[in-house]
Amino acid sequence: MKRKVKFDYARWVFVLPALVVVGTLLVYPIFSSLYYSMTTKHLIKPAYKFIGLANYKAVLTDANFFKAFLASILWTVGSLIGQIFIGFTTALAINRVKVAKGVYRTLMIIPWAFPSIVIALSWKWILNGVSGFLPNLLVQLGICSTLPQFLSDSSMVFVTLILINIWFGAPMIMVNVLSALQTIPRDQYEAAQIDGASRFQQFHHITVPHIKVVVGLLVVLRTIWIFNNFDLIYLITGGGPAQLTQTVPIYAYNMGWGTKLLGKSSAVTILLLLFLLLISLVYFGIIAKWEKEDK
Amino acid sequence: MKKLLSIMLILVMTVSLFAGCKSETSTKEDNKTSAKDNKAEEESKEPKANESENKVAGELEGEITFWHSFTQGPRLEVIQATADKFMEENPKVNITIETFSWGDFYTKWTTGLASGNVPDMSTALPGHAVEMMDADALVSVDDLIDDIGRDKFSEAALSEGKKDGVCYSLPLYSHAQVMWYRKDLLESAGLEVPTTWAELAEAAKALTKDGVYGCSFPCGSGDMMATRFLNYYVRSGGGSLLKEGLKADFTSDLAIDGINFWVDIYKNCSPQDSVNYGVLDQANLYYQGKTAFDFNSGFQISGVKANSPDLVDQIDCAPLPKINADDPDYGAETSNIPMVVWANSKHPEICKAFIEKLYEPETYTKFLAATPVGMLPAITGISDTETYQSNPTVQKFENAEKVIEKAVTLGTAIGFEHGPSVQAGLLTSQGVLEEMFQKIITNGEDVEKAAQEAEDKMNEIFSSVQ
Repeated sequence: MKRKVKFDYARWVFVLPALVVVGTLLVYPIFSSLYYSMTTKHLIKPAYKFIGLANYKAVLTDANFFKAFLASILWTVGSLIGQIFIGFTTALAINRVKVAKGVYRTLMIIPWAFPSIVIALSWKWILNGVSGFLPNLLVQLGICSTLPQFLSDSSMVFVTLILINIWFGAPMIMVNVLSALQTIPRDQYEAAQIDGASRFQQFHHITVPHIKVVVGLLVVLRTIWIFNNFDLIYLITGGGPAQLTQTVPIYAYNMGWGTKLLGKSSAVTILLLLFLLLISLVYFGIIAKWEKEDK
Repeated sequence: MKKLLSIMLILVMTVSLFAGCKSETSTKEDNKTSAKDNKAEEESKEPKANESENKVAGELEGEITFWHSFTQGPRLEVIQATADKFMEENPKVNITIETFSWGDFYTKWTTGLASGNVPDMSTALPGHAVEMMDADALVSVDDLIDDIGRDKFSEAALSEGKKDGVCYSLPLYSHAQVMWYRKDLLESAGLEVPTTWAELAEAAKALTKDGVYGCSFPCGSGDMMATRFLNYYVRSGGGSLLKEGLKADFTSDLAIDGINFWVDIYKNCSPQDSVNYGVLDQANLYYQGKTAFDFNSGFQISGVKANSPDLVDQIDCAPLPKINADDPDYGAETSNIPMVVWANSKHPEICKAFIEKLYEPETYTKFLAATPVGMLPAITGISDTETYQSNPTVQKFENAEKVIEKAVTLGTAIGFEHGPSVQAGLLTSQGVLEEMFQKIITNGEDVEKAAQEAEDKMNEIFSSVQ
């Protein structure tokens, strides 16, 4: 006798609110952006027409787009490497602390807790080329003969922004890596010590395999967040001076809200989305391979 | 039974989801309520004795939202007090006031226009008003101007908000750009107040010492300061940043001279950081006594007063420098700050009645006194009243007021030399000239090449609105 398969409604009940929210807040904006990217949509003017791929052609032949794209890559890679390195080493250090670990962890997380506007204004104030605390301190200590111009010197401004972003993002990496480190069974280290494994061998063969999936996921998330980061750069330099710190999100913003060419701006955001999807697919492929190896 | 339960659960969760949205909306609206709402709530608890009185024919009734950019305390307080008084006189009216900086205001109305999320009435900058008119976003205020008295307004100020013979804005106050200087620094260096650009450059270079910069040149990409400064120079030679036919003109001999002049000032007497400066960064330097010369309106006085009260006696202003001392007097930039009523408003009659209230002599004088000499009256019959003249700041800065008053009559908004146009608004809102100066200063780009690129870029932007 054929058994009747029962449809389980309960699971749909629980995911329905999430589906509605995702559908409203994610799917609609993506498809409207996709549509507008093929039109002459203007921020103020109501009339617009369909122009196919003309906006994409215009963007992909604009030298400023590629400059912004390169700046985005450098911004992402520089920030990510710095954040992972600082976050990882801090987590390893705090993991070995025996006393008041919670206090250190809380202190280290402070930069992450500040809103972007506070971080941007604070750093602008600290690095101000006339009255900023840091430039004046460096001169008073005799390290510099003139006030260093962290935010206007073409050779310093981009590096300065990356360092601010590392300061801001490393705590998040630290907390996550620390959590992963604390899940590693102690007996594995003890067994390794009995077998005569060196500290590096313990790190390489026990620590890394246990946390690599967590770090991999962090890299995926941080890559997307950093690449899409707009507020920090916009609030500190506005993409200047001379477009030296103009990343793709700022380029898209200037296009949509400056020149009000929403169609062209949408084309930029769709290109950005495609690029990040590609990067995410590569990352997820690597993580899936790691997970398969672990099993 | 299980199936039924599941369906009911789906329904309950979906309804609660929308209920959640509704309650959030309500909260947002609640946050916006003014003191009037509390008052209304208290009144609702009272016996409804006044209800019949309220139903007088023609009585104003409804809610309006007023966006303004008077972010400084005293101006904000006067506007709020006027709104409170208006609501007291019109119990069925509720005015919600929201304050934004000019930059935020521009972003907010341009993005809000498509969705109808614009206020009932607002302040604007002259360039904004033209863009608003171009987008058919405003209603005529000719009736309001007639009620206040058309002859009280300057024709030039009214024409900035005029399209096809209809006025869509009316000026609330006026001010103009002049040159501010430090009397003590000039005196100690044995220098006279410069009257030409060459004299200014010489004096600024001489005064750049001991932690003071002669003159800061700001060109931050998020503001319009470099456009403003280049416009001073170009206007002083009788030119314009727009040529006939409303095309950008950044490559004329006059403009190239102006660009070279400001690059020279930047290199010799300006903080390096000013390449990123906006209006507030620039003004703050002068407020704190770190620059000898600056260019601004009478708002400079309140800024110095608040930041460095000891320096108030040491500041004064003079007309903008000329290219040759015997060139005719000129005004480079006059700002007649307009009020507008939005087409989206359900209650334009309330907006107009409230605006009229702002122009009542007592209210208007109080408003101007919030930033004396910073805001000059846009209507006649105010500046010669005893109340206005008795203000200590007006008395102390009598010379400054005269200089600014004269500049107001000689100038226009940037690019309005050929009449109000969308192109003039775009000239200041796109940061094209700021980017050009940054490229020259930071990347060492050739002046003429950078000017040509900027001109082409600006003309391309102009073509997007045609």
